[in-house]
Amino acid sequence: MSDHISGPRAIADPVIDITDVYAFPCPDSAQHLVLVMNVFPYAGPSALFSDAVIYRLRLRSVSTAPDGHSFAVAAAESVFDFTFSGTQPQEGRCTLPSGDVITFGVNEQSGASRRGVQVFAGQRSDPFFLDGPMAEKTIATRKLAFKETGSDRLYGKNVLGMVLRIEWATVLKGGPMFAVVGETLSAGKKPVRLERVGRPEIKNITLSAKIFDTVNRDLEIRDIYNEEDAFNISKNYAGAYRARLNANLAFFDGLDGKVDWPLDHEGNHPLTGLLLADFLVVDASKPFSETSYFEIEQAMLEGRVHSTCGGRWLNEDLVDTLLTLYVNAGKGPRIRDGVDAPIAWSSKVFPYMAPPNRAEAAAS
Amino acid sequence: MMEERPLTDGTIALRNLDAQIDAFEPEVRAGHASVETRAGLTELISLRGLIVGRIADYEKAEEIAEQIVRDAPMDATALLARARTRGGFHRFNDALADVDQAERFGLETEAANGERAAILQAIGRYDESLALREEAAARRPNFENSAALVSLHADRGEIERAERSYQESCSRYRGVSPFPLALLDFQLGLMWMNAGRLDDARRSFKAACRRVPGYAQAQGHLAEVEAELGEIDSAISCLQLLAASSDDPDYAAQLARILAEDGRDDESRRWRQVAAARYDELIAGRPEAFADHAAEFWLAAGGDPEKALRLARLNVEVRNTPRARGLLAQAVAASA
Repeated sequence: MSDHISGPRAIADPVIDITDVYAFPCPDSAQHLVLVMNVFPYAGPSALFSDAVIYRLRLRSVSTAPDGHSFAVAAAESVFDFTFSGTQPQEGRCTLPSGDVITFGVNEQSGASRRGVQVFAGQRSDPFFLDGPMAEKTIATRKLAFKETGSDRLYGKNVLGMVLRIEWATVLKGGPMFAVVGETLSAGKKPVRLERVGRPEIKNITLSAKIFDTVNRDLEIRDIYNEEDAFNISKNYAGAYRARLNANLAFFDGLDGKVDWPLDHEGNHPLTGLLLADFLVVDASKPFSETSYFEIEQAMLEGRVHSTCGGRWLNEDLVDTLLTLYVNAGKGPRIRDGVDAPIAWSSKVFPYMAPPNRAEAAAS
Repeated sequence: MMEERPLTDGTIALRNLDAQIDAFEPEVRAGHASVETRAGLTELISLRGLIVGRIADYEKAEEIAEQIVRDAPMDATALLARARTRGGFHRFNDALADVDQAERFGLETEAANGERAAILQAIGRYDESLALREEAAARRPNFENSAALVSLHADRGEIERAERSYQESCSRYRGVSPFPLALLDFQLGLMWMNAGRLDDARRSFKAACRRVPGYAQAQGHLAEVEAELGEIDSAISCLQLLAASSDDPDYAAQLARILAEDGRDDESRRWRQVAAARYDELIAGRPEAFADHAAEFWLAAGGDPEKALRLARLNVEVRNTPRARGLLAQAVAASA
């Protein structure tokens, strides 16, 4: 389920649980890049942001590394920190890379703007959709279990969303290609990373299954993974992540009975290195595209120049894209999970995500 | 002095707990929810019951858990959910049977042993519980395993070890939810209260209330301690609010006792009647679940030692703990 309930710590406290991160060029302005981070899966009407959490979006400039099949990430970073009051109605603060602060009221549709940045935070319809039970069944039975018409476990559910519309050339360091990571950290003198998300469905579909991993079969790897700095993975567990990704990606590749992603002589899956660089890559200089997730990476793997903005748009049918990538490398038919839309599409107008659903909507 | 860690404001946390429950309930009511979702909902509702002191929440959680097992009798998650709700209502043998069954249907042994340890502790089989808890803590020295040792050491009368486990737990806590630490403060408060260290008890209960202002059990026990320390007025004010809003008769019972001790007999009588009626109602439905507290009530403000004796005997049959044996001894003495 994208990054919903992605590990014991996230399950224990949804207010720190990042469900998704999105990054896309603004549909109506080439000068703007839009970032979205959602938290609190299955948020009921009274859900609030924590006043003890920093909700952080980090961006670094990236380019294709000299080896041609990985990213070179710049050291300079642009950080946006959202924090929220403990009072109600809740007030938000977004600290910009310049140190300027934008204050705003939570759930105010138009948000607030300052110095080339517009912000919004509040409850919205969860834009993600998938047939979660059939994804689980696929792993359990080791066969593609999706149906023609699937059942969306997130249908009618809400999240707490944070949206940034950024005049990227003036506000961000570097560019035009950026790596984007969302994080939740405990506030206080020494912030501690609680969760981080870059690419969708890394921790759940890609990392969570233990049964194929012959190295760490009993390890719940996700909480450790969550604590890592996406731009600087510690050496301590890199081998464990690599082993898990190699095993699980090989499993997905085998689901159609043929090998589209041959492992190298060390047993590494061709996608492992790229996915371990767990950040969204978006090219702000390219026009907005509705279906461009992973195109930059695929172009890199194929030795060509990317043609889209990459990143991730709110309405993209991510699970179908991902399954097709994992199972047949895009060389075969599109693999569908049978769920092709959320309850409400996101719009191309700020704050993009659809308004929250009524509590009864999920039961309808 | 341990550094105060940033935690979500307790009022927001409680509101978010409601938000989670409100998000899942319509789906569960409509019959669309998966076993996992329904089991998760029982956990959330039980947690709310524990924090706000609402018996109706425990009953609701139990109802859902029983239904899940009827729908999926061979599902480990369903059986585990039912084991927990049954344990909450002191159906300890049934709960243990559910854990065994859940393990047969795939529940990991480590998780099953954690559940067993909680039940064994509740029925006074402390040595067996300790063996399981210590094994878990040695294998995974995390917050959950340290925290589980706090109340177990406290029940065993091992105050220093309980304090040490408390400190370890706090230092290992990585989250921002205030609930786990508030529950831990409450456990420590109970230990101090039972040991007669009222100032320490007050400090721990206050810490629990500071973390989660709506934590009814902590407020109730804090009021009891304050009354013992002579701060009658604040204790009575607090208990009046709790007794008026809660479906748990413990607050009315404590209020009646403290009012009587303060010579306010008319007021005491009124709250005694409230508590008596509610205990009778609860005992009629679930004698084993409420025998302990009801016996305590009938021994004190309730003024019916014979009734107390019957319930104290039942309580010892259900859970042969030092507290249950002590209560029985008091009841025997009072009815002699």
